[in-house]
Amino acid sequence: MTRAAPTTLRPTTPKEVRDAVLDTPGRLAISGAGTARHWAGRPAEVDATLDLSALTGVITHNPGDMTVSVHAGTPVRDLQAELAGHGQRLALDAGRIGRGATVGGLLATADAGPSSLVYGAMRDLVIGTTSVLADGTMVRSGGHVIKNVAGYDMAKLLHGSYGTFGPLVEVVLRLHPVPKATACVAVDGPVADAARHTAAVVSSPLEPIAVEWVSGDPGRLLIRLEGGVDTLPGRVGRLVDLLGDDAREIGDDAWSGHAALTAGQPSTDAPEGAVVRIGCAPARLASLVAELPATGVTAGLATGVATVTVPGAAVAEVHDAVAAVGGTSVLRDRPDALDAPAWGPAPSALALLKAIKTQLDPGARFAPGRFDPWM
Amino acid sequence: MPLDAPVREEFAALLGPADVIDDPVRTRAYECDGLTGNRVVPELVLLPRTAEDVAGCVRICARHRIPFVARGAGTGLSGGALPVADGVVIGLNRLDRVLEIDVENRRAVLEPGVTNLEITAAASPHGLYYAPDPSSQQVCTIGGNVAENSGGAHCLKYGFTTNHVLSIEVVLPDGSVVTLGSDSMEQQGPDLRGVFLGSEGTLGVVTKITVRLLRTPEVMRTLLADFPSVAAGGQVVSDIVAAGIVPAAVEMMDALAIEAAEGATGAGYSLDTPAALVVELDGTVEECDEQFALVKDICDRHGCTRLHVAGSPEERANIWRGRKAAFAAVGRISPDYIVQDGVVPRTRLAEVLERISGMGDEAGLRVANVFHAGDGNLHPLVLFSAADGETERAEHLSAGIAELCVEMGGSLSGEHGIGTDKACSMPKMFGEDDLAVMNRIRAGFDPDHICNPGKLLPTPRLCGEKPGRYRPHPLEEAGLIDRL
Repeated sequence: MTRAAPTTLRPTTPKEVRDAVLDTPGRLAISGAGTARHWAGRPAEVDATLDLSALTGVITHNPGDMTVSVHAGTPVRDLQAELAGHGQRLALDAGRIGRGATVGGLLATADAGPSSLVYGAMRDLVIGTTSVLADGTMVRSGGHVIKNVAGYDMAKLLHGSYGTFGPLVEVVLRLHPVPKATACVAVDGPVADAARHTAAVVSSPLEPIAVEWVSGDPGRLLIRLEGGVDTLPGRVGRLVDLLGDDAREIGDDAWSGHAALTAGQPSTDAPEGAVVRIGCAPARLASLVAELPATGVTAGLATGVATVTVPGAAVAEVHDAVAAVGGTSVLRDRPDALDAPAWGPAPSALALLKAIKTQLDPGARFAPGRFDPWM
Repeated sequence: MPLDAPVREEFAALLGPADVIDDPVRTRAYECDGLTGNRVVPELVLLPRTAEDVAGCVRICARHRIPFVARGAGTGLSGGALPVADGVVIGLNRLDRVLEIDVENRRAVLEPGVTNLEITAAASPHGLYYAPDPSSQQVCTIGGNVAENSGGAHCLKYGFTTNHVLSIEVVLPDGSVVTLGSDSMEQQGPDLRGVFLGSEGTLGVVTKITVRLLRTPEVMRTLLADFPSVAAGGQVVSDIVAAGIVPAAVEMMDALAIEAAEGATGAGYSLDTPAALVVELDGTVEECDEQFALVKDICDRHGCTRLHVAGSPEERANIWRGRKAAFAAVGRISPDYIVQDGVVPRTRLAEVLERISGMGDEAGLRVANVFHAGDGNLHPLVLFSAADGETERAEHLSAGIAELCVEMGGSLSGEHGIGTDKACSMPKMFGEDDLAVMNRIRAGFDPDHICNPGKLLPTPRLCGEKPGRYRPHPLEEAGLIDRL
């Protein structure tokens, strides 16, 4: 039996999302800006795609409370522009924000950038969600206040869910002030040297916002500081003194190379290599990435999170190497023809994950294939 | 009968008879937590010494469908550790080892019975500390902190327990053991770690916790400032935030709370001021000095009547001693009191305090206010005398205050949890569908409903059936959401 080509539904309100879920029988893929279309498991065949890129806009911004609620399809780039007028921001700097990634997409894929060292990942910034389940239930959790322990935290369940429990329609976020000044200090050298420098920086009182090594010849450690206009230069000086070698302040555009290695590929291009996201205990990361057959690396030496580009044939080997140090790994972009495992070994909580999936999406309608081969 | 002699023998064979308590004189010690008004004496108290034995206890419970309640230090204020009749209490105090301080990775691996303060004590020789600091930190345990997603005075800048726990080993209600979370922020799929954090013991029993440690800040600057009104203090908080400053802590106390705290500690609070603010900044010398000067200016601008800067670590500790003793100290000015815990958007602080004061007058009861002003987390203390028959009125007022917070677009609880205390208020904050989905998530973890039943979510037995017409969601009434 052949299936009809999948329909694409483009709801513009939460109600339309619910109607689309209720009125469309069968299996549904969910997409936002499409910047992570190929991440994690390859999407299986579906009957329709829910495209949330028209479900956009700020619902309520409360500058005095530093919270904002937005529709899930809102590009973070647009949100930042709106918030900047109030001296506020979402403290998230995932590389693919520059490509138009949405609030819902970044939450569903658990993406984060270098500043997660201090501000955490999306899981630490989201304070409320509304999503739609397979039976059309609209479910809210959390709320509009930063401090809130009432009820189970659904937002966390949706963080890293890749749409498998259903589409997000609204997200409430906590905000941070835009720093008065930002600086970047760089030291060139291989990852092992960068790890030594990182140890010195994180045990210093200088409060770095991000500490990332970017591969190259010989590679470069980037350290971001934030602070006041008058006070930051003094701290930059202390940091340069602490690091020695050829440490120096450089322009902020140094981060664009980092973003390019983590932002994923425009969907029209077939990427050259496979991109794998890795996490492990920070002190293990430098030696781990040094032994991988990687052509491109960004390594958060203080967070333990790295993004590596490797030949497609090496993906399974990467999963094994990461699992051997107790870490986690997931395939992001890949060459179209590549048949490689998306995930490393299944987590110990797999049976629990399946039980929750059965509770919320008993017909396995949403995002089939994303957690292949686990479920 | 679930707890007949053969079942008791199973527990005794697993733990040894000395660690299975059924003597009513001793089980009575477990009849309540910090919410002392609710009491249930458990059938049995189990005191395992290892994670394996905790799993063994839960497996026996699962096999016989015996409800169980995990318990740490019992400092919870919402009845989350209230025993279940015909059930067992699993006390975790004997799992009290700091398993590892990993300086290189800046993290600690802990058993659940380690107290909050012990983590920082173990980490501080390495220049590290554990950030969440609930007022009960000397006695409350990290296992309890995980269950309640505890906060504290410093969570405005540093976040809550959930922001500091990397991974947890959990015994699920069927007795299986899983690890949720990982060594980094990357995880294999959905953040089940985050779902478990703050689930109030209803999804399993935590047996091992890995937390992040932070580097001790270079400097801390603390001030205590008096203001002619609570509203003026609130305006200071707003201006600090508007200036782009994120203080480590901003705490406010009103006259009644100050009277109690000062009487108990002699910490140096003024007895003649309507409101006092504690502001703490931390960080590098450069940033802290600049911002501290700015904060002092803001205080002056709003009619600060006295500004005391802590000149030494001892003076700083003193200020915090006064603040953290405030709850217990209220016992000095009232025979009985209820500690409430609600959250409002910070910008509505002045409005909500006025409403609370009016509600207190109407009920003929005094309300002292201590709160985390930076994040809008209120702790109204309802003062009453049980001997004078004021209990019911006080409970009614206290519940009304929590529900007022929801009405203002806030939350029923900022850090103390829902437990048994507020389960019946949950429909004020969440719709029927929301609660039904929470029940489905719970069923995914605990299909047999044996893990801390009767807590967090309303049940007909607990709250009575609530039939009737559609009631608008509180956020809908507040104009924050639309009905679909």
